[in-house]
Amino acid sequence: MSVAVKLLVMFLVFAGAAITIFLAVAYSTHLPVSEQHDVQQRGYAIRGRWFLALVLFLIASFAISIPFYPYMSAPAALAPARKVPVIAEQYAFIMASHLPVDKPIIFEVTSRDVNHDFGIYNPRGHLIAQVQAMPDYTNYLRVIFHKPGQYTARCLEYCGIGHAIMAKTFTVGGKQ
Amino acid sequence: MMPTSDNTGRRVMVLYMGTGLALTASMMFAGLMLRASQAGWMPMSPGQFYAVLTLHGAVVIVALMLCGMGGLWFLMRRQTSLSVAAAVIAYACIAAGAAAVIAATLFGGFAGLYTFLAPLPFHGSWPYWSTGAFLIGMTLITIGWMAWCMQMLGAVLRAYGGALGALAWDFVWHRKAFDASGRPLPPPEALPVLMAGFDGMLAGMSAMLLGVALIVRWLDARVLINPLWAKNLTYFFAHTYANLIIYMLAALIYVGLPYATGRKYHTSAALVVGWWCSMVLTLTNYFHHLYMDFVQPGPFQYLGELSSYLSAVPVTVVTIFSALMLVWRSGMKWTLGAIFMYTGLIGWVVGGIGAEIDATVPFNVHLHNTLWVPAHFHTYLVGGCVLFAVGWVFLCLESRSIRRTRILVRWVVGLLTFGGMAVFLMGFYCAGAYGVPRRYAIEPAPGPELAKIASIGAAVMIIGFALAFAEGVRLRFGYPEGEATIRMTQEVEA
Repeated sequence: MSVAVKLLVMFLVFAGAAITIFLAVAYSTHLPVSEQHDVQQRGYAIRGRWFLALVLFLIASFAISIPFYPYMSAPAALAPARKVPVIAEQYAFIMASHLPVDKPIIFEVTSRDVNHDFGIYNPRGHLIAQVQAMPDYTNYLRVIFHKPGQYTARCLEYCGIGHAIMAKTFTVGGKQ
Repeated sequence: MMPTSDNTGRRVMVLYMGTGLALTASMMFAGLMLRASQAGWMPMSPGQFYAVLTLHGAVVIVALMLCGMGGLWFLMRRQTSLSVAAAVIAYACIAAGAAAVIAATLFGGFAGLYTFLAPLPFHGSWPYWSTGAFLIGMTLITIGWMAWCMQMLGAVLRAYGGALGALAWDFVWHRKAFDASGRPLPPPEALPVLMAGFDGMLAGMSAMLLGVALIVRWLDARVLINPLWAKNLTYFFAHTYANLIIYMLAALIYVGLPYATGRKYHTSAALVVGWWCSMVLTLTNYFHHLYMDFVQPGPFQYLGELSSYLSAVPVTVVTIFSALMLVWRSGMKWTLGAIFMYTGLIGWVVGGIGAEIDATVPFNVHLHNTLWVPAHFHTYLVGGCVLFAVGWVFLCLESRSIRRTRILVRWVVGLLTFGGMAVFLMGFYCAGAYGVPRRYAIEPAPGPELAKIASIGAAVMIIGFALAFAEGVRLRFGYPEGEATIRMTQEVEA
């Protein structure tokens, strides 16, 4: 299961929980009517706890996510790695067609014309990494391919009417 | 206080909301065409597809903006005097801008997309004039928007004693002195007005700066525009516009739900502080659009994630929670107005969950610019904003009509609209989870199969909305003769 499919499951769980609460509240309108004052007294107590729980959850999620940011740290940038220039243009990627397996690669991604996005799909079609390709700038994307096979780079930033055909396949492992 | 039998105020609201909803309806058909094309059911050339996509995105934003503007204008008109001429001039600017956008896309084939990320508008295969028409159109829309923002900002500052009064500053920090002063406390719906006016002006300035720069570049190809600067300005104004649309239409909850539940909704310290937070966070969370721009200064990426997360707090803790407390054991009658408005809250929350997942940097690597993005924003635009606007219209109709909607009609409309919507949206979410890129005229697998399912869902949803429209017309013809007041607003104020 790809990371994105796991995220879909997570989304469905959270969304399902939220919808259940809404349905329960909707159902309550068929129960005997309560005075607004009574509802507020109980509701404010729950709201205080909900506020604390939500803020703690969000701050904890933020802290946990930081180590997984895709931006290169200074040590990673200085470590030995194969540099692979990628030049994007309407509607092609100019880059090497064969890359090594299990070795750090730093893609140096830029664009000749408009904004593009260099999105890498593994042989199973899962989107595993991406970075924007911008004119006048070079973005550095560090990737280690652990599995050999045929990968596909697709443009993920709308770049003109040929956007959907802008792709480049490359092989990882095997013949160099 | 303005009388609620304010027919002029109502006409301005009808002008804005009527135009907004008519444009929204037409863009639903355009959206259905796009999904049907991706499904392989409706042949469209890439040029046609992207021109319609550009039209769809730009016009939907304008349409829902008009709905929010009309609703808030009407609500503020109950609090203070507002110039009808100023509202009509703002509307005329927006209408002229929208006409230019429609001409540029439908007749000129402009396909630089509604985000028109520089320098794409100048690297397309469309005619040169269409780029200029589109840019001038978007600039006119911004001028109209800023004129409205200025009017609303002026009104709210005038009505509540300047910036601190409109912010209810003393109400929160110096409660006893505030109570003793006898100064008016802004009602709940005035806080979104302040936010829309203030944040909207900042976003408008950003849009104007970018718009003028691009028009100058259109006139003189030697002009250079930094793409990262342009991208920051684009997402700052576009994200802020999109967020403000939600907040503006959510303001209708503050009047609509108390009416539907027969309960009261007052300004509280929590509500005020919540809106302060939203005012700030809305301006800083646009950075999440640039997570994959690794050259963007690092602190902005952290700020983008943190502020995107925290923007959920005021929404869920204050507005949504308060709405649930209003409905809880209220005995609310489930009229179509109440159903649409309440379900809009669900769409807002569910879309927000999708947005928060995408706003997490490590997850964004796998979701950025896949169909997950239109999935979440369609959830809170169609499933939230449109339902708030339609719900508001129905509450207005129901408050005046002597006719009532049959329970069978409510069930059919609800099942078709929300069932179709769920299928339509899940087509986006599933495709996003399978890495299908957004904005592809021809999608890789499993995109086309999911687009077929989504198209069916969208068609069913549109049928549901069409039935709702027919029922709305029926209710409209049930007004008693000579009746010229809006009962809902009277009852809320009573």
